[in-house]
Amino acid sequence: MNFDFSDEQHQFLAQVDRFLEENYDPEVMDPSRENMSQLVDTPKRRAFMKKIGERGWLGMTWPKKYGGSEGEGVYEYLLNERLAGAGCPQIGKGVGIIGKTLIRQGSEKLKQEFLPQILRNDIEFAVGYSEPQAGSDAAAMALKAVRDGDGWRLNGQKIFTTSAHFAEWYWFGARTDPDAPKHQGITLFLMRMDSPGLTIQAMPTIGEREITNQVFFDDAWVSDEYRVGELNKGFGYISEALDLERFTMFTFAPIQGRVDLLCEYVATEERDGKPLRADPVVRQRIAQLVTQTEVARVLGFRFVAKSIKGGAPPTNEASQYKLYATTHSQRVANASMDIGGPAAQLRVGMEDAPMNGRADTSYRCTVVETIGGGSSEIQKNIIARRKLGLPKNF
Amino acid sequence: MDLDFTEEQEMLRDMVRGVCSEYAPLDVVRAMEDDPTGYPAELWKQLGELDLLGLMIPEEYGGSGQTALEGAIVYAELGRSLAPSPHFASSVLGAGALSLAGSDEQRRSWLPKIASGEAILTPAWLEPKRGYGARGVQIRAERNGAEYRLTGTKQHVPFASAASRLLVLARTGDGEEDLALLLVDPKAPGIELTQQLSLASDTQYKVRFDDVRVPVDDRVGAEGSGWSTWDQVMHDGIILLAAQAMGGAERALEITVQYTKDRHQFGKPIGAFQAIAHYLADASTEVDGGMTLVWEAAWARSQGRPVRRLAPMAKLFACQTFRDMTAMCVQVWGGVGFTLEYDIQLYFRRAKQLQLSWWDTRYLEELIASDVLDRAQA
Repeated sequence: MNFDFSDEQHQFLAQVDRFLEENYDPEVMDPSRENMSQLVDTPKRRAFMKKIGERGWLGMTWPKKYGGSEGEGVYEYLLNERLAGAGCPQIGKGVGIIGKTLIRQGSEKLKQEFLPQILRNDIEFAVGYSEPQAGSDAAAMALKAVRDGDGWRLNGQKIFTTSAHFAEWYWFGARTDPDAPKHQGITLFLMRMDSPGLTIQAMPTIGEREITNQVFFDDAWVSDEYRVGELNKGFGYISEALDLERFTMFTFAPIQGRVDLLCEYVATEERDGKPLRADPVVRQRIAQLVTQTEVARVLGFRFVAKSIKGGAPPTNEASQYKLYATTHSQRVANASMDIGGPAAQLRVGMEDAPMNGRADTSYRCTVVETIGGGSSEIQKNIIARRKLGLPKNF
Repeated sequence: MDLDFTEEQEMLRDMVRGVCSEYAPLDVVRAMEDDPTGYPAELWKQLGELDLLGLMIPEEYGGSGQTALEGAIVYAELGRSLAPSPHFASSVLGAGALSLAGSDEQRRSWLPKIASGEAILTPAWLEPKRGYGARGVQIRAERNGAEYRLTGTKQHVPFASAASRLLVLARTGDGEEDLALLLVDPKAPGIELTQQLSLASDTQYKVRFDDVRVPVDDRVGAEGSGWSTWDQVMHDGIILLAAQAMGGAERALEITVQYTKDRHQFGKPIGAFQAIAHYLADASTEVDGGMTLVWEAAWARSQGRPVRRLAPMAKLFACQTFRDMTAMCVQVWGGVGFTLEYDIQLYFRRAKQLQLSWWDTRYLEELIASDVLDRAQA
């Protein structure tokens, strides 16, 4: 048993830390963007990710044949944790869901076209699974794809497509066989985000305003060459990619960062002339929070350790971590509000905001963590079935 | 990063599981409830023969010198089985205090006997209406030449009727930590034992001292060092209790999950209802998380890394989880969960008792808060 990382892994972390120091830029590294800091949505952030690509850090787990270095997944985890902790953009959908699915399932043409661009971070992707009637029940997606010449005619709507407003390419699922059982009639496609027939409409959130979008397909057309993998096998690919990607989707470092910020605030601030840390109720709350934070951290270690061992993807461990960590993340945000007092409502940049306004940003932004990427209820269903062996309950 | 046990550790776990199921199955656990002695003699003998009583006692004193990690593995099994014994009182706290602060003479005369099971030590610490800190110890040990004289009352003294020696925390001065640890023969004149019946039906005693004479040579460590020894021994001990709590929680969850597969209502197993399945999924997450936190604390201790924060965190979370999830389990069992006939109540009652005992939630929270918030100011 060993809860520490190896010497090589520590050396890698030190390299990442040095890189972050050398490339420090508050516009690229902004923890107050909370979970949205992961997006590569400004020119400076793109330039930063290109540099990460130049270091060879984007394809660390990819096969050598496609420009990767066939390293262990733990390095991707370590890199993303460091990037997330500093509020940097992170390795995301391109390297993860899309790159890895293309490597396993994509045609030679798609591999040639996309994999090198992903490794150089030349392009950004948006992922479209959710629809108005297909949220947690992702297999209910209804976007209609009908064969038309060398390609497919698309009509319908996607919802909650993060990044659609700046991405060049759209990775989405569409229903290609309406008569098959719902899991067996979905196909994955890639198309340019600026294709005729696609309309993007922002969906402002209580987190950031310009993050996520609706995407409308009105007689849009995609060539069959941009179909990913086999016809009607899309849902399997989606599930497989999610299993591989939970590793990097919900990072722990930002939670630790917020807890540290809160502890620092309590340790140093006064209220009514008395140290805040002298308040037994506050002390009790801090003790509980730091303990639960450690539990979230080691739940993450469980899937890291299992991934290192290889074998089947650690689905149960990933679900347990996601369920606990995201719930806890909201608990921390709520406590930061309570302990910060009335001024905790003040936004980033307001003069009297405690904790640099982070109580406000984290309170808003963490809301979506227990909803996106498989809601807490979906995680519980996964744990109930896969870990506990309980009967199907939906 | 590797969260698996070694082959030897797996073997140790299997051995303890085997011995508990043979010598302390649940009908034996039930038979021992409220018993004045409180543990099966045959189990105790087996634990001694398998070197489990001397698990963490140094080899030179007849133990096997294992680390906190092996200790935690053993305690997770004791927690699963609910096997009652003075192991914690004697082999962990008693032997721990002697190993840390005892004179060579004291170690030589007691540690090998503790390791074999021939002698049992048990701490006499808590006092009526007083708390877990050093100030909670008010019973006086008045120095009189070559002896102390003890007068006062201790309670929650585990397995006192079976003890060869009580390890008494007593006050020798007015400073907060002017405390001594004294080895006291429970059969000495002036000592009276009264059994205290408890929530967990375990075996504990109120001990009255009336001018009891204790030779100064029976003090463990230097005068005034009693609290720091005790504090250190407790930090090691709570890691094991955290393992015990998580072992109990794991087992309670297992039997409850099985029950939800077997019990049918409305024409299907109750585990097919999300109201039930989601309780269990949450519990499973907290049990796995808590267990991993316990292993982390035990591993850190075994590596000589600091555990001033980790050890209290482990007991706090483990006992909270054990308590909360056994309460949920009783709810899932429904009406039969309230009856003595079914086993889940055995876990439910012990969970709350473990949470209250050996540093309670409030005390642990304060240890953690102090480590997080006060260090920079110190």
